[in-house]
Parts: sequence; C-alpha cells; structure tokens
Amino acid sequence: MAVVHSAPKFASNEGVIDAVAETISVWLIEATEAHGEVIFRVERDAIPRVLAILRDDHAYQQLMEIAGVDYPSRPERFEVVYMLQSLTKNHRVMVKCSASEDTPVPTVTTLWPNAGWLEREVFDMFGVTFAGNPDLRRILTDYGFEGHPFRKDFPMTGYTELRYSEEEKRVVYEPVVLPQEMRTFDFLSPWEGADYVLPGDEKSRGTPPVAEAKTTENTGQTGAGKAADKAAAKIVSPPPPIQKDTGKPAPGAPDPTSKEGGR
Amino acid sequence: MSMQREESLTTTGEVITNYTINFGPQHPAAHGVLRMVMELDGEVIERIDPHVGLLHRGTEKLIEQKTYLQALPYFDRLDYCSPLAMEHTWVLAIEKLLNLEVPERAQYLRVLFAELTRICNHLLNMGAHILDVGAFTPNLWIMDLREDCLNFFERASGARMHSAWFRPGGVHQDVPEKLLVDIGDWLDNRFFQLFEDAMSLVLDNRIFKQRNVDIAVVSREDAIAWGFSGPMIRAAGIPWDLRKSQPYDVYDRMEFDIPVGTNSDCYDRFMVRVKEVYESAKIIRQCLRDMPQGPIASSDSKVVPPKRGEMKQSMEALIHHFKLYTEGFHVPAGEVYVATESPKGEFGVYLVSDGTNKPYRCKIRPTAFSHLQAMDFMSKGHMLPDATAILGAIDVVFGECDR
Repeated sequence: MAVVHSAPKFASNEGVIDAVAETISVWLIEATEAHGEVIFRVERDAIPRVLAILRDDHAYQQLMEIAGVDYPSRPERFEVVYMLQSLTKNHRVMVKCSASEDTPVPTVTTLWPNAGWLEREVFDMFGVTFAGNPDLRRILTDYGFEGHPFRKDFPMTGYTELRYSEEEKRVVYEPVVLPQEMRTFDFLSPWEGADYVLPGDEKSRGTPPVAEAKTTENTGQTGAGKAADKAAAKIVSPPPPIQKDTGKPAPGAPDPTSKEGGR
Repeated sequence: MSMQREESLTTTGEVITNYTINFGPQHPAAHGVLRMVMELDGEVIERIDPHVGLLHRGTEKLIEQKTYLQALPYFDRLDYCSPLAMEHTWVLAIEKLLNLEVPERAQYLRVLFAELTRICNHLLNMGAHILDVGAFTPNLWIMDLREDCLNFFERASGARMHSAWFRPGGVHQDVPEKLLVDIGDWLDNRFFQLFEDAMSLVLDNRIFKQRNVDIAVVSREDAIAWGFSGPMIRAAGIPWDLRKSQPYDVYDRMEFDIPVGTNSDCYDRFMVRVKEVYESAKIIRQCLRDMPQGPIASSDSKVVPPKRGEMKQSMEALIHHFKLYTEGFHVPAGEVYVATESPKGEFGVYLVSDGTNKPYRCKIRPTAFSHLQAMDFMSKGHMLPDATAILGAIDVVFGECDR
C-alpha cells in the first residue's frame, strides 16, 4: 500500500529486520513490520542483552520510551515495549517482551540511565516489576496509593476519593461514591460488530422462541369479559330548559351595588 | 520550605550537617507542581529527588474510554503552553494508522500554527526563566507578544488555549484570509521590535550570564544517554531536530536552520530557544508565501465530517455526520509510535488500536520525563539558587510531565 499520510518519515525499514534478526536470532520470537514500524518481539530474560546489541552494534543510541500495555486475556498479560532511536541512522525500532505480575523483567538502567523513571512508571501503572532497578518506587500515583491504575480491570473511577474534612482539619480518603452511574456508551453499531441483543430487540431475529402458538377453544375464552350494556348509552332524563334573558334580575338575586358604595 | 537536620559523624569525628529541604510542590520557580527533595551541604546541592505525579490525571486511561476524536481535546491539556503541538502528534498518529492523505493547505496551516505555537511556548518559557533568575521586566514585555499569539489562535479556532483545531485528516475550519495577512504584518512590523527589545535587556546582561553560563553542563554523551531531545540536546551541540530529520507535514519543504549550542549550559539552552524563535518566524513566512488554496480537510467522508451546507442537501452527508459524532471512525488494528518535535523536545504517542472506534492503549511520551530525571546529576555540586535556573532551562510543564 502506498504511503500517503504525512506522519514523520524516518529512514527506510528495508533490510533492517534481516540485519538485526541475524544478531539477535537466539532470543528473537518474532519480527514484524506493519504501518511502517519495525517491531521485534524477544524473550523477556534477554531484554538487556538484545538492547545492548541494538545500542552498540546497530547504533540505536537513545531509549526514548518504555510503554506498558495490558492484554488481560493472554497468559502473560503485560507487554513492555521499548522505543529505540538511532541518531546516526535516523531510524526507530520497537522491542517488546511479555510479562506477568510475578515474572520480573530485567532492568535496562545499566544501559541507559533514563530507563529508571520509565521503568518506575510501567511498574506504577501496571505492576510489572523490573529486576535490578535500584529505585523501583511509585512515580505518578499518590503517596500510599494501592493498585495499578492502567490495568484494564482497574475501574475508571478508582476506589478512593479524597476531600478536605472540616471536622478533622485534614484531607481524608473515602471510598468512591458516584451520585450518578458512570456514563459509558457503546457506540458500536448493532448491525456490524456488537454480538449481544439490544433490550426490546429480541424479536428482530427470526421467530419468537416458543414451542407452540397459544390458541383458545372457542371465541368466548378470549378473556375480554362481558360485552358492554347497549342500553347504558340511551338518554333517559329530559334535556335542561333553555333559559331566556328577560332583562330583569333573577328572583332572589342581590341588589346591584349602589353608586355611593357599600360597606 | 520545610527543613530538617541530619547529623552524622565522620571517621575523624567531625560533625557534618546536611540539610534536607523540600522545594515545592508550591513554589513559583517549580513551574507547576514539582516537589524536589533536596539534600544540601550548606548551600551546595548534594542530591535531588524530584517527586512528580502531583498533577497526574490519568489522561491515558481516559483516552481509552473515548473515541479518537473525543480524545483530541485531552492533548490540549497536556502541555498547556503549546497545545497545538500536542494535537499535532495525536492527529499524525491516527493518520499514520489510517494511512490518510491530508490536503496541502491543511498541512501548511498545521505547520504554520505549530510554529506559532513554538514561538508562543518559547516566549513563555524564556519569560519564566528570566523571572526565575531575577529579572522582572522582560517577562512583562514578552507576555504582551504572547497575548498576540493567543489572539491569533482565537481567530483561527475560537479558543485562546485549548483550540482542538487540528483534526484527523486536516484542520477543523479554514482561517479567514485577513488572519494570514495579520500574522505576516505582526511578524514584519511588531513582533521583532518588541522581542529584540526584551532580549536586549538580558542577553548580554552580566547578572543573567552569571546565573546561567556554565550552569548544568551536560556532555554530548550524557545528553544522548539520558534521552534528551529538543533544545536540551541541541544545546549540547547535536544538530538533532525531528522537523529536519524525520519531517512531517510540509516541513520537508521549509528552509530553516537548526541552532546548536557550544557549551551545553543553561545559557546555551536559553539561546537555542531565542534562535529558534527566529527560525520559526522564517517557517511561518514561508508558509504564508507558499500556502495554496484548496480544501482544509481530507475528502474521506468516513473520517472527516461533512460541511454544514452539505448536510442540508444530502442524506448521505447527514448520516455520516451522525455516525462520526456518535460512533466515530474505526481505525485499523496495529500499533505505531509517532514522535514530533514539540517546542520542548520529542513528544511521542504510542498508539495501539484494536480496530474499533476507541484506542486500545495510548502511551504518551512526555518530553519532561527524561529531562527532569537528569535534574539530579545536572545540579549536583551547584548552589541552591542554580536549581531554579536549571529547571527554567529544562522548560518543564507538569500537565505534560504527569499526564
């Protein structure tokens, strides 16, 4: 497919996979090129060695970013992605490995000093541990925070909220109370994609799910009750007399208000 | 600032007292909410432990809950000093996954406004840096120019700061012709007079130099190893600029120079930014000169919403409008890492799509993370007041650092 987008263009990916794969073939699981990005999936324990080879032999001098991704359905649910950049070759590659909560990834702080914070962030957000990182504290979340917020099973609203308590004269932490349900809309259209039945839409697919149709023995069993009494619609009382305006006050009516005014 | 004393005995029996002080989280020179735990020997910094994350809002998690278009305004709120530069990376990442062509005029408009944003950002940073090291006046003068920039953003998008003007496939609306004329006029007749006035107060100022020259010198090797980018790596003498080396939009047609430093100290970082303002002005002038007429957004109606007038006439357009603003567009499955040259350095977006209308994961690479991490080794052995100069020269904004 011809490239028509105007996103940043770095040096060609041609031959990069072959050249790199040759040197890291022992640990390489998969090398792909898609959307103009070269990605090497390698074994977790070999991460420092692979990145050292990429840095020293293939001139990827800079570690720009370490990203964590959570795929809860996989046996090793996390992916740790390293973005490398070569200043001399003007090229970028990604290296990734998988991990779970209890399989630590070896640190690369020995190769790049800025890996320290990047690993701390992945640890903080996903709970992936990095063996050998000398300072694996939380970094972005609050002091004393529990849980790893960017996991897919961590609720958007979190578990605690805080406010300033006037009685205690300090900030207090309390469980989250939502006055209104969290609004999440599923905009995926029901005719392409969604695999559930919309409420009220059960009959739209084929015949209704009943064994046999309901019928009655005779017409009197419809359950409609007795027919209405036709005589009730007849008018029995005489119509009210038509009143004429004679110009005289009606008998027993009070006198009109005098000009002097009443009390 | 709170202080506490730590006393310890050396082998010779002398008593050494190191101070541990808390710089921030609410300190005017911290440029936001940065808390730095500093260990001081007298007035000399022994160790700095920056605590970030006080402005952590979980933007990346929020983005996972939104459609691609709904996620766009979050980017304005990352680096709120250069909102359009943040949007730029996001729309380019989406376009890269979609392989979507953007019309020429839209590319020129984006580059023009990205450079105006760069000027705007550098003005604020330089003003704040000067203020941090003790001079008040230039900041006030520069703010006047920044106000002009914000007015231009307002005329283009309707919002002064959080524009949400770049859209996947182009920009939201075309600009009035008068705006382009006014930007050119402003550069020719107003901007440089005032800017040079303000700079003349500091560039050769003895106090300013004493506070910045030879402060936080970083070698080339260190700058590369610590993942520096933007003015920080250029001040170290490495001519690395993503606009030049990995051009996006129409940057490959622009003629501009990459200013580099020679000494890699705070003064060089400041000077690189001053020179970049001139280069940005050059780019803006070229955009104004070469910008063609034409559409300002892609004609792909499955991504770009139709024009209002079209909707009154065409049922098809009406359906597209409805679907795009409820469901949004679907992005093919895949993952990309797109990095652009934001005013502060390399700002990247690692976007993982699972083929639906919402991003599966969006990792934002803040520029400040690598730079702030180097704060410890850059300020070791310097005096306490130098820390503010170093911090000012890093150009850190916590909306972006903490996300």
